[in-house]
Amino acid sequence: MSPFWLSYLPLAIILSSLLPGLIIFTLKEQQVKLRIALNLLGVTVKLVLVLIMWQAVKAGAVFYFSVPFLPGAELVLQGDALSLLFVVLSSVLWLATTIYAIGYLENSPLRSRFFGYFSLCVSATVGLALSGNLVSFLLFYELLTLATFPLVVHRGTPEALAAGRRYLAYTLSGGLLLLTGVALLHSLVQSPQFIPGGYVSAVVSEHAGLLQLAFGLMIAGLGVKAALLPLHGWLPQAMVAPAPVSALLHAVAVVKAGAFGIIRLVYDVFGVDSMQQLQLAEPLMLLAATTILYGSWRALAQQDIKKRLAYSTISQVSYITVGVAMLGPLAAVGGLVHLVHQGVMKITLFFCAGNYAETLGVHKINELNGAGRRMPLTSVAFTVAALGMIGIPPTAGFISKWYLGLGAVATDNSLMLLVFVFSGLLNAAYFLPIVYRLWFLPQGGNWPKEQRLSATLETHWMLLLPMLFTAVLIILMGVFASTGVSPLSWTQLIVEREFSYD
Amino acid sequence: MMILLLVLPLAAALLMLLWPRIAPLLALFSAAVCSFLALQLLLQVSEQGTRYWLLAGWPSGLAIAWQADTLSCLLILLTAVLQLLVGFYAFATRARDKLSQGFWPLSSLLQLSLTALWLSRDLFNLYVCLELLALVAVALVSLSGRKAIKPALNYLLLSLFGSLCYLLGVVLLYGAYGRLDIAGLVSQWQPNLLTNSALLLMSLGLMLKAALWPLHGWLPAAHAAAPAPVSALLSALVVKGPLFILCLLWLQLASTEQAQAMAPLFAGAGLAALLFGGWSALRTPFAKNLVAYSTVAQLGYATLALGLMLKFDQPLIFAALWLFVLAHALAKAACFLAIGEMSGTLGGKRLTTLKGASQTMPLAMFAFAVAGGSLIGLPPSGGFLAKWALLQGLWLQEQQLFWPLALVLATLLSAAYVFRVVVLAFDRADPVAPDFSPQVLPQWLALLPALAVWAMALFSEPLLLLLRLEAL
Repeated sequence: MSPFWLSYLPLAIILSSLLPGLIIFTLKEQQVKLRIALNLLGVTVKLVLVLIMWQAVKAGAVFYFSVPFLPGAELVLQGDALSLLFVVLSSVLWLATTIYAIGYLENSPLRSRFFGYFSLCVSATVGLALSGNLVSFLLFYELLTLATFPLVVHRGTPEALAAGRRYLAYTLSGGLLLLTGVALLHSLVQSPQFIPGGYVSAVVSEHAGLLQLAFGLMIAGLGVKAALLPLHGWLPQAMVAPAPVSALLHAVAVVKAGAFGIIRLVYDVFGVDSMQQLQLAEPLMLLAATTILYGSWRALAQQDIKKRLAYSTISQVSYITVGVAMLGPLAAVGGLVHLVHQGVMKITLFFCAGNYAETLGVHKINELNGAGRRMPLTSVAFTVAALGMIGIPPTAGFISKWYLGLGAVATDNSLMLLVFVFSGLLNAAYFLPIVYRLWFLPQGGNWPKEQRLSATLETHWMLLLPMLFTAVLIILMGVFASTGVSPLSWTQLIVEREFSYD
Repeated sequence: MMILLLVLPLAAALLMLLWPRIAPLLALFSAAVCSFLALQLLLQVSEQGTRYWLLAGWPSGLAIAWQADTLSCLLILLTAVLQLLVGFYAFATRARDKLSQGFWPLSSLLQLSLTALWLSRDLFNLYVCLELLALVAVALVSLSGRKAIKPALNYLLLSLFGSLCYLLGVVLLYGAYGRLDIAGLVSQWQPNLLTNSALLLMSLGLMLKAALWPLHGWLPAAHAAAPAPVSALLSALVVKGPLFILCLLWLQLASTEQAQAMAPLFAGAGLAALLFGGWSALRTPFAKNLVAYSTVAQLGYATLALGLMLKFDQPLIFAALWLFVLAHALAKAACFLAIGEMSGTLGGKRLTTLKGASQTMPLAMFAFAVAGGSLIGLPPSGGFLAKWALLQGLWLQEQQLFWPLALVLATLLSAAYVFRVVVLAFDRADPVAPDFSPQVLPQWLALLPALAVWAMALFSEPLLLLLRLEAL
């Protein structure tokens, strides 16, 4: 492999989903086979490319591709350990979600448009993961907003349109705040590449106030997508979207884009030292901790399955932010690994919710009684993911909470430890009753709208397979956490690189 | 080369009158050749520096001064390319829209007057260009037939009043200094009551013609009444002519004290235009009026940038001003063509006819959304470049929090009215059925400038550098 070819690898990874997406837009509704083939081709190519990059980055290489854009801020695509964490997550889950969406949307109208935007959305997410400086990040952040909007309003119903309006109002304002913050920071220190340890330390003493303002603006901008406390309002409402979209929004694309941006901002723009000098970590941590408790608390009160999952997302994503804001290596491992673990667990839960809705017509929690007997595989997957969310070993969720807890102890944050314990209890309080209903309560009357989607299986195989795949991943990531291929070992590698810059 | 740029459209217009049958071909041909020439000129000027020349070899002071710098060349190129594009659109839809024969010679004259305006550096010659421009524009508006008579007449009267004000200012200056070339006037300029009043009079006239807030009242009716290709030309190009002269006056002629005194007024007017224009665009029930109000709002960016430029004298802000103009011209042409195409096919002027347009006319709707993205200023579109340059210029000034905040508010408003249309287009409940099967080529032509404004990202660095140098 020539180095020339390798330097285009980040671009190729983005194009591998962008190009099929653009072609899919031009297809007619009836060209189902071609569309599926294009989708799967894109996924496969992307996974192969990501694998190549993964091998190289593990060996210590850093990929770099840039085109001139603004003075002092090129458009940079950069493949380092941290970006790869997010790229791998989104490509693997894209595979699962694509298969699920093909099954879910079978025979529904406007599928070309749906899959076109779906591919654009993944391209934007991967671009965001690979972006090498703040300006490129901003660009993909806005593109992500634009690509997800048509997915949110896909059903075209009044509720969907209202949710879409709200989603836009939140995310565009967020993007704008981010833009203002990025522009302010650019005027102080330009926008060089992301680098472990950050690049603002030279002006910390001179422009402390402006740096704090820029950080606040950018966190507010990113906080909209990451659903930090006062800015979370769009997320529960965006639940009207089709299940694969919710899965994608919650597990991979939108909320993770915000969380990933916060990680980049804290470690690679400001850096741990400057964060401490400017006293920025403490407020961020407290805000995120409040969000954790608030989300869990609100989730308790929801009777709609997807709404409960939505509030749970609000809470769970803030674990990442807390882990990052504690500024210790162990806490960072916990936060980063939760980015992956939460993604896999939440996508499983949404697949399950989609299966219940598609097969049985069940949307409310109190209609789930006895569903375990009718749909055992789905219910097993749901149970595994729910236990993971609570943090019970040997699931993946346990690993991330364990490291978060260790991190809290290591950085002397006994308050955070309390938050984790209390939130864990709340998680149990809103997930365990569902599990109980699934398995131990008798079915109460007929299902609201039952469909036979398969002769032998409990539902369509395309709805089952991705869900089982991610459910197995949850267990595997927990059991094999200490091996070299686990997300945990990868995050340890990242943290090693992030914290050993000097 | 510059002479050819002026002579070609004029000759084409005259030939069209003699031989109306081949008028479209002539117009397209002359626009294509002019685009090519303008590109050559731009490359030449950016390589060898600004070119000056005095008409017919008369000495300075007597002769009419012309100047081709990078900014003028960029604007000439923009004019020719948009002319070509809109010409193609009018040609592609000629069977359907029954556009009057008058369109072709008039559009060539429009190109002539604008090209001459971008090149002139002589106050009286600028007046002539301005007058020609206004007359041609009024004639173009009236092509729509009876319903356009009233807005066209309104436009004509106000425009004449504006011209008179401008001419009065010119006369005052001529009486005092005896010369009208800008370079000569600058060397003798005295800030006193006479130049004050001349500047104010000329500005009043120009602001009226450029539809800068609060003198924008005529614009929405006139631009909405005109046929789609004409609205595209009017919004994209015609209002920019007076704006260009306004910038010449205040950035080159006026003394520092005069500029400082005027700065807050321009900045305030720009902000008001952004807010009121955006608000009106949110409220209007008609599709074309929405786009026209958006022009009022977007011109506010340019006015705001002019005011801030006068205040801070920061080259980045100057670059932002013209980036706004370039980006807006391309985006607005796309918007008007797309909206014209959609309301033509779906049959109705109201915004509600666009219901479900993302299904019935996906290409045109896509063109509108893409162009709207630049109006909002989403990266990496041209609108984003302009906003970025403005923000950078502002952050370089210490303690400037008010203006960035105002920009954020204005951007939110523009996002609101753009997505007002987009959300409506995604309404699948009961989409409006097209009256006839949508034509594909015109939709692509509407998409073209929208893509071009995003492609500005590819040239962002040279553009910013060139325009920044122009301010020094």
